[in-house]
Amino acid sequence: MAPLLDVAGVAKRFGAVTALSDGALRVGTGEIHALLGANGSGKSTLCKIIAGAVARDAGVLQLHGADAVLKHPRDAERLGVGLFYQELSLVPQLTVADNIFLGHERTAPLGFLSARRKRADVTALISRFAPVLGDGFSPDVPVARLAADQRQIVEILKVLSRKPKLIIFDEATAALDRRQVAIFFDVLRELRAEGVSSIFISHRMDEIFAVSDRITVMRNGVTVASFATADTDQDAVVHAMVGDAPLRERIEHPRPANAAPARITLTSGTSRRLHGVSLSVGAGEILGLGGLQGQGQSVLLQGLFGAAPFTNGTIAIDGKPVPVRSPAAAVRHGVAYVSGDRGRDAALQGRSIFENIANATLVREKRRVFWPRQLKPRFEEALKQLNTKYASLDAPIGSLSGGNQQKVFIARWLATGAKVLLLDDPAKGVDLGAKADFFSLARGLAAEGAGIVFYASDDAELLSVCDRILVFNSGRITAELTGSTLTSFHLTKAAYGEAA
Amino acid sequence: MSTALIRNPLVLAFLSILVILAAGEIISPGFARGDQISKLLTVSAILGIVAAGQCLVVIGGREGIDLSVGVMISLGAVLAGNVMSGSNGAIAPAFLVAGGATFLIGIVNGLGVTFLRIPPLVMTLGMTGVVQGGLTVITRGIPSGNAAPALMSFVNEPLFLGLPGILFIWALIGVLMWFLLRRTDLGYAIYAMGSNERAATLVGVPVRFIRVLLYGLSGLFAGITGVLVIGYTGNSFVSVGDQYMLLSIIAVVIGGVSLNGGTGNYFGVMLGAIALTLLQSVLTTLQLESWGRQLTFGVVLVLLMLLYGRSKRQRV
Repeated sequence: MAPLLDVAGVAKRFGAVTALSDGALRVGTGEIHALLGANGSGKSTLCKIIAGAVARDAGVLQLHGADAVLKHPRDAERLGVGLFYQELSLVPQLTVADNIFLGHERTAPLGFLSARRKRADVTALISRFAPVLGDGFSPDVPVARLAADQRQIVEILKVLSRKPKLIIFDEATAALDRRQVAIFFDVLRELRAEGVSSIFISHRMDEIFAVSDRITVMRNGVTVASFATADTDQDAVVHAMVGDAPLRERIEHPRPANAAPARITLTSGTSRRLHGVSLSVGAGEILGLGGLQGQGQSVLLQGLFGAAPFTNGTIAIDGKPVPVRSPAAAVRHGVAYVSGDRGRDAALQGRSIFENIANATLVREKRRVFWPRQLKPRFEEALKQLNTKYASLDAPIGSLSGGNQQKVFIARWLATGAKVLLLDDPAKGVDLGAKADFFSLARGLAAEGAGIVFYASDDAELLSVCDRILVFNSGRITAELTGSTLTSFHLTKAAYGEAA
Repeated sequence: MSTALIRNPLVLAFLSILVILAAGEIISPGFARGDQISKLLTVSAILGIVAAGQCLVVIGGREGIDLSVGVMISLGAVLAGNVMSGSNGAIAPAFLVAGGATFLIGIVNGLGVTFLRIPPLVMTLGMTGVVQGGLTVITRGIPSGNAAPALMSFVNEPLFLGLPGILFIWALIGVLMWFLLRRTDLGYAIYAMGSNERAATLVGVPVRFIRVLLYGLSGLFAGITGVLVIGYTGNSFVSVGDQYMLLSIIAVVIGGVSLNGGTGNYFGVMLGAIALTLLQSVLTTLQLESWGRQLTFGVVLVLLMLLYGRSKRQRV
């Protein structure tokens, strides 16, 4: 009998980026199939292709043994494919019931909406999760009033309500607690018994081994291995994810002295997406934040910078506790924050390079009145340190390439003489030359006594510059890598590790 | 001439001033005479000063605009007229009372826009209704108050080099605005938050405080303008400031300040105020009724939006 889903040789490019070069996946009827891969390995793209949300450039896709033409998510839905959206697809103003049946409303004869059928169906659906729904959950509550885990359950019910034959759960358990996950797994198993298959993406290795029948591993846009879960173990899976990675090229540097004073210390930092995180970065140290995307790394950096203050926890800079309730407070204490999303977080479009640098310095030094010529030499020096290519400080920021713009946004902090640098995936989308310039600069600043906290979605970047890596999972630190454990194997394994 | 030069709002504003002057001279010989120009500059100064506040609010971004400047001018004029009642000794108190009241109203605008996140268009339009209603109740619709003679001569009579004192005040405001915007942290912060509010926040700019302040300053400038208006006309009535709402916005746009925020400067706005005043005067010379002037101004604003609105977004 043909498998329910058979995908082979699927490729997809987005502009210059190849997201998928040889994706393959075979899912049998009544099977729970885990799909694994590091950030950017192509698993989300593959799922979107199967669900008809993204069109493939090449390759074969068969459903129920026949070639499937998927021009629109509706086509996939008609063929029995349901996709759980990682980015929540709910309408906040609508009620739970209305969200669940959005787009396939329950109707009475003559096409009128049937409140009675809707009520009956939604009650049946919700009953499966009844013991773990939490406070304030009812079919008539607007989704905006629900907590994150409750919204995720609504999202799951929304997919289930369409009675698909194949369901893709992309990070469906991210916001759920253990009891909710247990029930969700029971539901998956019940569905399996009814012949419904699931593709399951998760960042928790224990969940994957607990629930899946088969595991397929992707790396750099290619499907590299497929296992029967019963015949394999975690190490084998992690090895497949990492591959025979060549030894990373370290940027050589003297190890920081152990007695180096702490530049910045956080004690049990807590916010909505972060649970009691403590860390300390010494002068001369580059501390990496690892793990899958969105596990709290950016939230942590924004908390340390005061942009999204912690609800709990204390920050000390150079040993002194300081309240950091706003970016201004952080800047005045010599803290800098570089975002990888420079268009949203950094660029003052339409303004000159000089102005793009100056604001941070004016805030840091509380300069009320100034003359540009007082500051220009300092700014030129900062830009030179990064090998920035620009015509003049008065040229508009938009005249520079992306990589050079990002150099300007780093130079704005160099000019302030910041001693704590928070780097939030700063090299995202910049060219290799600029990347190399960033990382040698980061090492140089560390050597001069700065403390650097560095998050990168690319593991290779972390491994090449960090002295130490804290691995995050679901808003918690789950592992600390130093010395001989600073390898992609350990990093990947820890990223998928059980939440502590 | 290169297109870049034509696209430069300052060049455009300056050229239109020359063209309108020439047109005025042709239609009515003597239009461009010295004393006539001094008179027109006086009217320009009044518009230019209220436009200074408007310009700050617009540069500060988040669809910044202050539709309540018109009624705040009226309020300033009525308050000043009643405080002065024709007495020279009460000129300073008149400025204090008028400026203080409108500054506070502006602060309320700013608080609504910043903390309640009411769109500026709606907030300041609502405030217009409130102030308008209040004014009608206070004055019962009857003109009241008198300007002090010294204020009237300061606005209307030559003081130095054949120019009235108000022009020197306007020039001083021009220098101060340049200094504020180009030489202080506050000015740089205003451009930064107008260009990208999130980015400004992330370098430590106190965006919310500044936005409230900007609406306060717009109120203050409107109040001062109100005092000068009564100095120009001699007495005040409830709708004396109404026309300045639309005119101040057009002056700002002619001056090259993008309604998207984050660009432009006050020098351009000063030229814009002069160009607009000249245009108004030519239209009056043509004996166009008030509806004709309104129509012309509306068309000018829409044309300018078409011209500047087409400038491409720069790459990120």
